[in-house]
Amino acid sequence: MSMINLITEEIVKVPLVSDNKLDVMRELVQILKNAGEIEDYNGVLTAVQAREDKQSTGLEDGIAVPHGRTAAVDGLKLAIGIAPQGIDFDSYDGKPSKLFFLLLASLDSAGPHVAALAEIAKLAQSKSFCRALCNAETAAEVVELMKGE
Amino acid sequence: MSDLVKRIMVYIDGTEQSVTAAQYAICLASFSSAELVAHYVLNTKAMSDLLRTHIFLQDEQTEYEHDMEADAERYLNYVAEMGMKKGVSVVKKRSKGSVQREIIEAVKDLEVDLLVIGELSRIRSRRDELYDETERAMRSAPCSVLIVKDEERVWNLYESLV
Repeated sequence: MSMINLITEEIVKVPLVSDNKLDVMRELVQILKNAGEIEDYNGVLTAVQAREDKQSTGLEDGIAVPHGRTAAVDGLKLAIGIAPQGIDFDSYDGKPSKLFFLLLASLDSAGPHVAALAEIAKLAQSKSFCRALCNAETAAEVVELMKGE
Repeated sequence: MSDLVKRIMVYIDGTEQSVTAAQYAICLASFSSAELVAHYVLNTKAMSDLLRTHIFLQDEQTEYEHDMEADAERYLNYVAEMGMKKGVSVVKKRSKGSVQREIIEAVKDLEVDLLVIGELSRIRSRRDELYDETERAMRSAPCSVLIVKDEERVWNLYESLV
């Protein structure tokens, strides 16, 4: 399954209201809970935090890709959050993160998880596209941009 | 007509779509008496990219590769079992690297007549099209390519195979 198939307005939040790293992770996991994509909020949050504790998934140029694998999800789950104000996510270049892709996979989905993460990594290479996403004002706008329609 | 298809290769990637493709390929192999190869590619190229872009840690890459090896074994065995139930012998093939490149090389090396792949994303975007490895393989394969759709119909076809 391509990452693009996971994208709906229900799994996108604009803007994120959090102002720190832990709250962003909570808010992203809550998006999935609210969308009915997960049931075990705490199990998912623990997996995301465990990965984040090893090293931040805050990349360069305002993009963060928190991720993890856990028995608390089925298949692949994606949540997208946009924080135009920027949030300190211990990013690689020290800059605040604005565009968050939370990607979770079940324990038996290593291959599809890698493929979806690779898609996000390639999207992140386009600075103009990421800038457009960060400027989006609604979830519908993000979905439209992501699907290129 | 007996030479229409001699060797079929189905690409397996751990998705439901690829399992459906395998069921269809088993039906085709049964009807045509063609040899069937199931090919799983460990996308180590993507993992290297993830490491380079700091999304993956080194130990994370090692862990995922180990798990993907196990996934490959499990899915290939599953396809072989499905084939065996229908009297179709399945040759298992596993490789590592870029999905597109590995598929194309296997098609050439094994002289595959027909490449069978699972349904591509229902929603295609111009952007996504550039990145989807399976779609790139479909476009660049030197043989005919069959994209399998309609999971329920394929399942019924497979089940009705004696």
